Amino acid sequence: MLNWQRYIKVVHVKLLLGDWLVVLCSICAVILLFVTLWQNNPAAQLQIRQGNHIISTYTLNQNRTIHVQGPLGESIIQITHEVGKLEGEVRFVKSPCHGQYCVHQGWLKRAGQVAVCLPNQVSIELLGEKKAYDSLNY
Amino acid sequence: MLDRLLKSCLLALTLILSLSGCGKEPLYQTKNYVFGTLVDITIYGETDEKARAAANAVMQRFQALHNQLHPWEMGSELARLNDAFAHENQPVPISANLAEMIHSAQKLSVQSGGLFNPAIGGLIVTWGFQRDEFKAIKADETAIQQWVQANPKITDLVIENGQIYTQNNSVRLDLGGFAKGYALDMARHQLMQKGIKNALINLGGNIIALGQHHEKSWRVGIQHPRLPGAIATLNLPDGWAIGTSGDYQRYFELDGKRYCHIIDPRTGYPVQGVEAVTILIPPAVNAGLLSDVASKPIFISKPAERLNMATQMGVTNVMVIDAQGTIYVTASMQKHITLTDPNVELATLH
Repeated sequence: MLNWQRYIKVVHVKLLLGDWLVVLCSICAVILLFVTLWQNNPAAQLQIRQGNHIISTYTLNQNRTIHVQGPLGESIIQITHEVGKLEGEVRFVKSPCHGQYCVHQGWLKRAGQVAVCLPNQVSIELLGEKKAYDSLNY
Repeated sequence: MLDRLLKSCLLALTLILSLSGCGKEPLYQTKNYVFGTLVDITIYGETDEKARAAANAVMQRFQALHNQLHPWEMGSELARLNDAFAHENQPVPISANLAEMIHSAQKLSVQSGGLFNPAIGGLIVTWGFQRDEFKAIKADETAIQQWVQANPKITDLVIENGQIYTQNNSVRLDLGGFAKGYALDMARHQLMQKGIKNALINLGGNIIALGQHHEKSWRVGIQHPRLPGAIATLNLPDGWAIGTSGDYQRYFELDGKRYCHIIDPRTGYPVQGVEAVTILIPPAVNAGLLSDVASKPIFISKPAERLNMATQMGVTNVMVIDAQGTIYVTASMQKHITLTDPNVELATLH
């Protein structure tokens, strides 16, 4: 505790008004970025890319296994949607790559989450729901 | 100086709180499987606890109504009545709220020239549409003709002194095209009583609005009858309701032909040649009910008679999508909707 107070004294002696402004601005910038960029939305769609192409988009309210061919072989991607849950999850189940980072990344659940298999050039990304409306009439 | 540091920390903290405050909207959403369908209630501008309590109360009423109105599950009031209609001509007791529902269904049925007819439960069973999942069946031609000949009408029912009877033993009530709309009006009223000012209630596709979503109207999409996603979107201001009758939710296919759950009571056969009829109802005590009921007779009518039928039902905002995918709208409906694909041509409904 004593050390901490002494530390503040040492610091504040050295800081001028401009320094405080810089500190304050940085804090504000961090907060602003956090609020605008941090996504916690549930995901609605899965987008799969192979190389530069979006090869397919799936909704997450289904159980499905998808096979994607890359330069090394076949990546297997799985969507699961448990009954009673609103959103599904997705993961790499199997990959022909050496590192297996993509498989170890596990389940993706929220919009904005991405898993990439660089060696096999396959990526999966969860997209948020583009809400053009509040509810659907059918 | 320490003082000033504290002050700036405080300032930063307030900033965090205020920013995260505007990051999250006071929007409560719940989806549930009740009423034999998906119910989706969105409430704006209330605390989560208050919204949850109100939504739960509505769900409970829905479930109670569903239990009362299930046409075939033994134990429901409607099943008991159907059994009585089939076997005796003696009056049997009926609850006050069901009597009230039948009265208003009778009125609407007369208004539709009998095309809205919740007494054809027998036909619905013959086609297998009372089940939760439909199998493709070869329809029993003789049975269908028998039901059509027997001509059950909801106006065959007589209600007196808390009792109901009919001389027509072929009457089988199935309020499938009525109950959801009725429940919507009930739910809107119930939410208002609970002090909720802004909500959107979606009961199996039929939607009614209460208040609005922040500073704007609630916005709804209309399902494309053949593609995933919305064919159009529109504002649903306070008190407005929207309903669609379509051939894409409950149907089966046999020999390349589609049999949907909407049956023409005159022929006993599912209606063909139309994919969807959507109607938009301005505020009224029974806006939800009308949004559910009135689309059926328009769906069943022949193409040339659809506009007349809409007028007869007191509906001005109509969109019809026929089997070719052509979209017909009334002039007033056109003002309300925004097409998802702006290149699609709209035809005038006349």
